[in-house]
Amino acid sequence: MLSPERRPSVAERRPSLYMYQQPNSITVPHLAGIEDPLPETTPEKVDVLIVGTGIVESMLAAALAWQGSSVLHIDSNDYYGDTSATMTVDQVKRWVERIHQGLVPCYSDAKLYVSNSIHPNGKYISKDFGIDLSPKILFSKSDLLSILVKSRVYQYLEFQSLSTFHTYENDSFEKLTNTKQEIFTDQNLPLMTKRNIMKFIKFVLEWEAHPEIWEPYADRTLMELLVEKFKLEKPQVFELMFSIGLCYNIDAKIPGSLQRIRRYLSSYDVYGPFPVMYSKYGGAGEISQGFCRSAAVAGATYKLNERLLSFDPNTKVATFQDGSKVSVEEKVVISPTQASEYSKNVPAQKYEVHRLTCVVEKDCTEWFAEGESAAVIVFPPQSLKSGNKQVVQAFILGSNSECCPRGTSIWYLSSTEQGPRAEMDLDAALEAMEMSILRESDQDIAADDDLVQMAADGHAAVINSVKLGKSFKEYISREKVQFLFKLYYTQYTATPAFDVVNPTFFDTGAQISGKLIPGASDNGCLYTAMPSSEISYDEVVSAAKVLYEKIVGSDDDFFDIDFEDEDEVANNEQSKLSYENAIEDDDDDVGGADRDIEMQDETSEFVGEMEL
Amino acid sequence: MHGVKRRQWTKDQLKQKKEKDRMKIDVYSSLVNSTLDRRDKNDHSLTALEDTTKLLDMNPEFNTMWNYRRDIIAKLKTELPLQFWDKELKFIMVQLKKFPKVYWIWNHRIWVLNNYPGSPASVWERELDIVSALLEVDARNFHGWHYRRMVVGKLENITGKSMDAGELAYASKKINNNISNFSAWHQRVQLIDRMFANGEIEDRKEFMEKEINYLTNAMFTDAEDQSVWFYINWFVNYPLVQSILGKEQYIRFLESMTTNILMINDDDIEFSGSDNSWCLKILLVIEQRQKELSPGFESHSVQYLEKLVVMDPLRKNRYLHLLSKQ
Repeated sequence: MLSPERRPSVAERRPSLYMYQQPNSITVPHLAGIEDPLPETTPEKVDVLIVGTGIVESMLAAALAWQGSSVLHIDSNDYYGDTSATMTVDQVKRWVERIHQGLVPCYSDAKLYVSNSIHPNGKYISKDFGIDLSPKILFSKSDLLSILVKSRVYQYLEFQSLSTFHTYENDSFEKLTNTKQEIFTDQNLPLMTKRNIMKFIKFVLEWEAHPEIWEPYADRTLMELLVEKFKLEKPQVFELMFSIGLCYNIDAKIPGSLQRIRRYLSSYDVYGPFPVMYSKYGGAGEISQGFCRSAAVAGATYKLNERLLSFDPNTKVATFQDGSKVSVEEKVVISPTQASEYSKNVPAQKYEVHRLTCVVEKDCTEWFAEGESAAVIVFPPQSLKSGNKQVVQAFILGSNSECCPRGTSIWYLSSTEQGPRAEMDLDAALEAMEMSILRESDQDIAADDDLVQMAADGHAAVINSVKLGKSFKEYISREKVQFLFKLYYTQYTATPAFDVVNPTFFDTGAQISGKLIPGASDNGCLYTAMPSSEISYDEVVSAAKVLYEKIVGSDDDFFDIDFEDEDEVANNEQSKLSYENAIEDDDDDVGGADRDIEMQDETSEFVGEMEL
Repeated sequence: MHGVKRRQWTKDQLKQKKEKDRMKIDVYSSLVNSTLDRRDKNDHSLTALEDTTKLLDMNPEFNTMWNYRRDIIAKLKTELPLQFWDKELKFIMVQLKKFPKVYWIWNHRIWVLNNYPGSPASVWERELDIVSALLEVDARNFHGWHYRRMVVGKLENITGKSMDAGELAYASKKINNNISNFSAWHQRVQLIDRMFANGEIEDRKEFMEKEINYLTNAMFTDAEDQSVWFYINWFVNYPLVQSILGKEQYIRFLESMTTNILMINDDDIEFSGSDNSWCLKILLVIEQRQKELSPGFESHSVQYLEKLVVMDPLRKNRYLHLLSKQ
């Protein structure tokens, strides 16, 4: 049964929003399991059985369901999301307990601290928080975004912009100079540096067309290309590699790293002056639910609290813990975290991702751009006291994300360092963030004239944070950051850092040897990939596509959906007249001009928060 | 039914769509015929106006219809309520959003604004907001820039106050957003010239020095962008630069431009193995000025032109011609 301890689902929050906004769009039935009672019985026969409701499995379920396959999608938990879940504090508590009992494969070393303030009668309650197990950001130009639009799953979601990427350098947070405009107008950048950055940005946007530039460096590193060929200096190199490219260490290779830098730059200004978005109310957990809902619309059956016991590849019958059975025509796809007992085909999850998630009692608006409620902070190699070799990435969410109450924020830190060093790096990064936020938010600082830029009318205008970083190196605050929640855990994945999902990750033992493993409960099953260390959603679509191809035979019709109301919607968007298509339209140069120009007053409000 | 794929009855659909399209075409052609008929009969009734509305909504590129529509409005002018004019402006905006680059629509809009009863400043101020929003969407639509100049001119007429300084700040903002905005650079040229002519610039020397700093930054930010080079070409030859800076400082400006441009060009040679043709072309312009000012000036123009003949074969004969005059 549904857990009473859960955050409201998409539909519960906005049951009639779509009807209200788009009177002509399709009516979306409620997703069984989220709003309706769970079905009492499972179907007797399905094409595909999917176990686990993480984002990859959910997208796969929706793709298959829309393609016409019958899908039974189950999860052994009483909530949606599996490895992508967005959880309340109490759900995290139970999850950690289960890790300690060894009941959650692919996770270990979970340590949890929860403050007394989060209590049914306390200042905060468990449900105020939505903690992501795999926090993610969404690039404005990315394959997931196209799928969200194509599948209309975006209609279930709300997105907010994120434009601030800080690079931690010399004990302070430097803000990125990354747009042509900022480079042009920045008075502190030397002229030749401007030129060099611009030259690189132009190159990287079409790097495939210029092999003469990068091929000589193909066996070397991005760092060497930036320093030798583009004559860039350390601050710019680090920004490009670690904040824009989100690379993990100084050995980042070409051309993979060029692709990552381009991802950021080409995402800028797609929907506005920001490269990245995140979904409100929770990240991957929200999107997973969106895909589940879409799959349900297309006819997939959902069942929570259902555990797969075994699958017999000869009879093609899957047996569940509650004794029910289902005959599976095509494939069984399983999340590694929900593998059945006696499974022997789960791919090795060789790589560690170390995560530290904190909720602090500070709103951290100092780190956000105006009107926004999120930021990314990157700690390059060797920037921390721990002498980190790998980058530590931090994703900060403020309360406008609706993932935490006002006056608090969530800090998601992660490291690709392997072994016990990782926790030292995470702790060092946390300490640096703590110091920084105390420095920047301390009231007393404003009293020091040197640090405050005075506006013409005599009011203190801007506190210069770069200056603060420098002059307060030795600063010791009397205040302390109040931690409401602190969670350490190690997660295992088959995807190496910086790599993309590879079809071989899905090959199970039996497939490699060509033989069934005697006594295994999962012969003939496919496994999905665990989330990697990647902070963006970039691997998700490739992973779902690879699995889709393994089941359907080709990924040609992956989310190739024709909605019945396509024409009507298009017509309504263009004009209310029904015969406006009579003339051959040449509206090439209308490009994005669909904003209502007459609505002067509203345009500025869209900047901070937007719906696609 | 949800989950039923369209593709299964694609053929049917196609037939239906064709049928639908044919109906649309029929509706359109008969409306064209009847409306042209009305025009030939000098019909200036509200019904005729209504027909042009329908037709222009289907095809806003139909200039004849816009002309006819104006004839009707002009005739009906005294009968039309005030709301008509706001409704008309809204209608035009809907069409402009579909076709932001059709001259007839812009033309009609200006006419409506000019004929708006009383033509009050508030209407033109609202228009300026609208054109700003339009340039926000498409900052390089030259229709938009041209239209903006007309609206600003009208407002200046009504209020008797110059808006040049604000407009220059606006153009700068647009250039900062996107250095390749040729229209905004052009606007800059127009405004600067006018502001100097009308004595709107207090510290003329400081203004010039700031402008030099601005264009130097632009040149280093994007040395491939021709709008920046066009602007530099204009600025170097703009007579006021020399008269305001004085000959000596002007010569120093030309020298420092040469140093900077050569630095960019050398960097290009090192990076890609070839000269930057824009650098060479502007160096020629600068040398021309230098030769005029200092008789003993040691010119490199022959060398630049010889390179350009090879690099830029499309304009080869022009360079050869210039070479012959060296």
